[in-house]
Amino acid sequence: MTAIVAFRGVGKTFPGVVALDGVSFDLTPGECHALCGENGAGKSTLMKLLSGVIGDYVGEILVRGEPVRFRGTREAEAAGIAIIHQELNLVEQLSAAANIFLGRERRTAVGLLDDAAMEREAAKLLAELECPVDPRTPAGSLRVGDQQLLEIAKAVSLASDVLIMDEPTSALTDAEVARLDRVIARLRARGVTILYISHKMDEVFRLADRITVLRDGRVVTTVDRSATTPREVTGWMVGRDIAGHEFHGARSPGPTVLEIRDLTLPWPDHPRGYRLKDVSFELRAGEIVGVAGLMGAGRTELLETIFGATEPIWTGEILLDGRSVRFSHPAEACAAGIAMVTEDRKRLGLFPDLDVAANVSLCSLSEAVRGGLLSRSREEALVAAPLRETGVKTPGPHAAITGLSGGNQQKCIIGRWLLVKPRVLLLDDPTRGIDVGAKAELYALIDRLCREGLAVILTSSELPELLALADRILVLSEGRLTGEFPRATATEQKIMEAATGATNHARS
Amino acid sequence: MNSSGSAGGGWRLPRHELAILAATVAVFVATGWLDPNHTYFANWAESRDIILRNTSLLGIIALGASVVIIAGGIDLSAGSMVAFSATTCALVLTLCAAPDDRRLVTVGPAGIAAAVGAAMLSGLLVGTLHTWLITAIRLPPFVATLATLVGLRSFARAMCLFVTKERWGSESQQINVNTPFFAWLKEHNVWIMTATFLALAIVTWLILSRTVLGRHLYALGGNEQAARLSGIRTDNVKWFAYCYGSLTAALAGIFLMADSSVAQPGNLARGYELNAIAAAVVGGCSLQGGVGTVPGTVLGALFLRLVIDAVSKLIKASADVYEGMIVGIIVALAVTLTQVGRRGQASRSFFSGARGVAAIPTIAIFAALLATMAAANVPALQGRIGLFGGVVGGITLIALAAIRLLEGRRAS
Amino acid sequence: MSVAPMTPGRLHVVLSMMAAIMLAGCSSERKPASPAAGTAAEKPAAAAAVKPRRFIFITNGDDPFWDALLSGLKDGEQRFGCAAAGITVARDVNNGSAEGQIERLRQYATQDDVAGIAISVIQADNQSIVEEMKKLRAKGVKLITVDGDVNRDTFRDARSYYIGTDNVVGGRTLGTATRALLEARGAKEGGYVQFAGFTDNDNARSRMNGVKETIGPAYMERDRMADEMDLPRARDNVRNATQNHKDLAALVGIWAYNAPAIADVVTESGTRDKYVIATFDAQDLAIGHMEKGRIDVMVVQNPFEMGVRTVRLLKAMVDDDKPVLDEMFPNAAGADGDVHTTGLRVVVPDSASPVKADLFDPQVVEYMTLPDFKAWLAKYNLTSS
Repeated sequence: MTAIVAFRGVGKTFPGVVALDGVSFDLTPGECHALCGENGAGKSTLMKLLSGVIGDYVGEILVRGEPVRFRGTREAEAAGIAIIHQELNLVEQLSAAANIFLGRERRTAVGLLDDAAMEREAAKLLAELECPVDPRTPAGSLRVGDQQLLEIAKAVSLASDVLIMDEPTSALTDAEVARLDRVIARLRARGVTILYISHKMDEVFRLADRITVLRDGRVVTTVDRSATTPREVTGWMVGRDIAGHEFHGARSPGPTVLEIRDLTLPWPDHPRGYRLKDVSFELRAGEIVGVAGLMGAGRTELLETIFGATEPIWTGEILLDGRSVRFSHPAEACAAGIAMVTEDRKRLGLFPDLDVAANVSLCSLSEAVRGGLLSRSREEALVAAPLRETGVKTPGPHAAITGLSGGNQQKCIIGRWLLVKPRVLLLDDPTRGIDVGAKAELYALIDRLCREGLAVILTSSELPELLALADRILVLSEGRLTGEFPRATATEQKIMEAATGATNHARS
Repeated sequence: MNSSGSAGGGWRLPRHELAILAATVAVFVATGWLDPNHTYFANWAESRDIILRNTSLLGIIALGASVVIIAGGIDLSAGSMVAFSATTCALVLTLCAAPDDRRLVTVGPAGIAAAVGAAMLSGLLVGTLHTWLITAIRLPPFVATLATLVGLRSFARAMCLFVTKERWGSESQQINVNTPFFAWLKEHNVWIMTATFLALAIVTWLILSRTVLGRHLYALGGNEQAARLSGIRTDNVKWFAYCYGSLTAALAGIFLMADSSVAQPGNLARGYELNAIAAAVVGGCSLQGGVGTVPGTVLGALFLRLVIDAVSKLIKASADVYEGMIVGIIVALAVTLTQVGRRGQASRSFFSGARGVAAIPTIAIFAALLATMAAANVPALQGRIGLFGGVVGGITLIALAAIRLLEGRRAS
Repeated sequence: MSVAPMTPGRLHVVLSMMAAIMLAGCSSERKPASPAAGTAAEKPAAAAAVKPRRFIFITNGDDPFWDALLSGLKDGEQRFGCAAAGITVARDVNNGSAEGQIERLRQYATQDDVAGIAISVIQADNQSIVEEMKKLRAKGVKLITVDGDVNRDTFRDARSYYIGTDNVVGGRTLGTATRALLEARGAKEGGYVQFAGFTDNDNARSRMNGVKETIGPAYMERDRMADEMDLPRARDNVRNATQNHKDLAALVGIWAYNAPAIADVVTESGTRDKYVIATFDAQDLAIGHMEKGRIDVMVVQNPFEMGVRTVRLLKAMVDDDKPVLDEMFPNAAGADGDVHTTGLRVVVPDSASPVKADLFDPQVVEYMTLPDFKAWLAKYNLTSS
């Protein structure tokens, strides 16, 4: 059987970086082929070549045996190749139906937009994908999982027979992941070939027929799923065996640093009326408290409220060292010794126009001032310690931050906050979109900081991460605290039950 | 990527600044050579005065504009702010002068200090007003400063009528300022304005690249949400940016009032804000915010004013008719070329697709019309101007079509 | 810096070349402006020997009035042998602001080929404009004012001569005509409003004061409205005036474009019968309105003649042609010896108008009906005056 897509010695060089080097592998029609690799391994670049975003490379790509070189996504789509990007490409203000048909709108006989027809078709497509949303809903107000299905619906409506999915589950709840699995199975039943990019081993081994591993722009191997193990694939990805993330040796928490009492954050104009309701817990020095919860459970809101980043309309009490505090601006929280690493790195954390040193020194610039002016040498000296401590790999302190991998960018942001010497560190899903190797390093870093006496609140969408790192795990469900488990007794099963409201473990 | 925008950069002139400098020199030499009078070479001192004076005036406003742009905002009100400040200054002088002194020659040092102080204060007030509209009322900066663009000028005119009526008993729409101090300022304004401009440029450069505040300005412009979540008081940083924008315009207003010895709120400095924004953009500021340098803005102002001056040197009649056209083309070209360089898209196609194909005859039609109008002034072409225009249009069409073909071949 | 394939060298070479090409384009457009435009009688050989020079006319705005004046300049350029002397006459349109005129005067001060400048000064009392004018004179550039003079009491030495209408007389003439029209309608009293670009521009002020002087105390001046040469605003001013002052009996247009603005608004609101409409100058639009009976009287300057005489005077100054100077300024030593007035005309729709020729001094004012006036325009290929 001829390959539907074949890469033959594909290479791509950016100035100073070899992104891809002699990449060759095939996709067989109808298979689900997983592409694994750390961030920076070249997965995204390869996808950009296949989908026509980059047209300038060496080697060749064959589609159904014919050599092709797409100049734009439209040409790729015309050849039946569609891509679902990790960062979704939707026009938030337009309706779901309008997004599906964007660029190929249905028209009536007189040339006007035929919304009714588009909505009908969209509703049908979405129903097939188990996505029962009204096609007239603006895309921006849909949940991430539904937005993703919208993109898939678009690909389906294009009659694509090759679908590339770039880390599709990174923002999905487990229920949504299960739904996606079913959608993938259905697409495969129709003969659609799927190229599935992920570094989550459970998904890869659940879905893929074959697995190709990329490392440093080269293909390490292509194997049948049945012929390998997750551990082996992870090893190929990082080039070494990964130790399990278990941090043995109990930590010894100190005195209570932060206490939250009956925290309620109202949510005007929403039927539920609140984002958080009666949340109470305490955090001790040298302790990591994990916060679990599905999307929309209020994890980010909880951290933002503590950090003073929301409108100060909450009720209840936040006690820092026994003193009641009420921050109306993050600057006040900073001054009081609270730091927060935000969830969406690109949107909320990174300054793309500033270099690495400036990104790290931003919150503690006053320490680099001499005679009223910033001193370049002092700034370099200032950031040297956090860069070293967090293990950032950068060509130099004045390199462009956008040139670093996601993991290194995240370390820079953690470094930024370590410089302010906080007593409480709030980490909002800090390992999202970060490759395996960098994750392990971040875990070790967080563990070390905690042992040095920092109080940490950690949220994560990956339960194993919380189970590995946290001393206690709090579970939020729809804004309420529905469970609290010490690490010793916590299991994924129990946490999921609390998060989905199956049983109520709330403290009395 | 962020070569010229990097805030951490020390003193260096990156490629973008060098390119403007080179273009400036090229325009200078070309004008000096092509101008039948060779004014730039033969009569440099006077040309220098004009260029320095105009560059300083534009540059002072452009420095403020670039600070606002780097902070991710826009200030459309600069021209009106200039008029507002000039009017405020003149009105305070009016009140400090003898009641029947309509030439304002009797104002003492205290009155002058009060007038200058009031003018600068007016900048502070308007900057604060902008910040309030933007941060508390949550108007987009474009709308907030659009409101003051039209509002301030009108306010200044009303103030002018009110004060003159109260003071002199008859309304006047303009106030002649013949105060000796401002006459002196005008007499020496080339050097005073140039020195002020350079001093302001150095101060602005220090603020932007060597202070915490400056770094916060870049951070605010680059990613406002992240800046807030990093504990930066973004509203205060905005306050500084808009006040800086208004204060520089206010300063320019005092100079402009002294230079034209009149405060004429209706017409003074109309459209200056657009020139200032153009200078900042030519100088490498990105309207998306977070990117821009002081050397770039200074050179951008110099380049823009030199081009305007060159046009009046080269076109001997009705230069004003052609000025806008030429400045427009030069600005578009300068920004296009710097972006080609910056984004690394030298290989990008300019004429691909249906839009590209449509652009070719569009440009050819413009070229043909331009050539026809130009030919009307050339005696040798009398009676054949239509033919000449047609030939030029045809050549343009063929040349662009050839580029299109080359691009198509390269891309495939 | 490291990413871009376009090297710094290539970038600035391209930018510089583009700039150079554009400027070359501008200049080649102008180069051959010299001798060939002259009449056949003049010898090109003579022209080749002299350095090309320019007379510049700086207006204070953009209006058909200046187009008529330009026609006069071109006529004068031919009539007085400019081509043979290597002189071209160029017009420069100011943007309506004082700093625009200052800027232009400074610009010309740097350019050696400027032999003479005529300027319609935008603000009579503006010290800065006067200083730039003086600097130009000190350099030996011949400088006169046309149409708009400096304040002659204080700045007389800023220019050699003034050519133009005596605006006070112009205003008085319009005032006299307006009064005649009002009295003919039986309006014993009422208000009037005067419209101009700037109410404190010297020529506007003189005309308005002239109108006020002769219209008589029975009629009250309700307002002087300025539009800053913004045409839509000129119309809005008329609308506001008619709404704000209920006793208005006359609308007086002081600058050329105010005439069609008044006629348009009054026609649109159907209130033509309520007002006497008296205006200055004769734009082609205003002529059309008078034909349709929407304007009662126009006091018309002669910009064409101003243009002709501007060239004649500047040429005579450059050549130091005493006889011409003596002819134009017979009593140069006298109080008004530096002023050369071009004639005024009173134009009425037809001989049935209540405005009669005997109201005016025939030495100063020429009385014409609209058909006669149009015949004169046609003779010189003009559309407005």
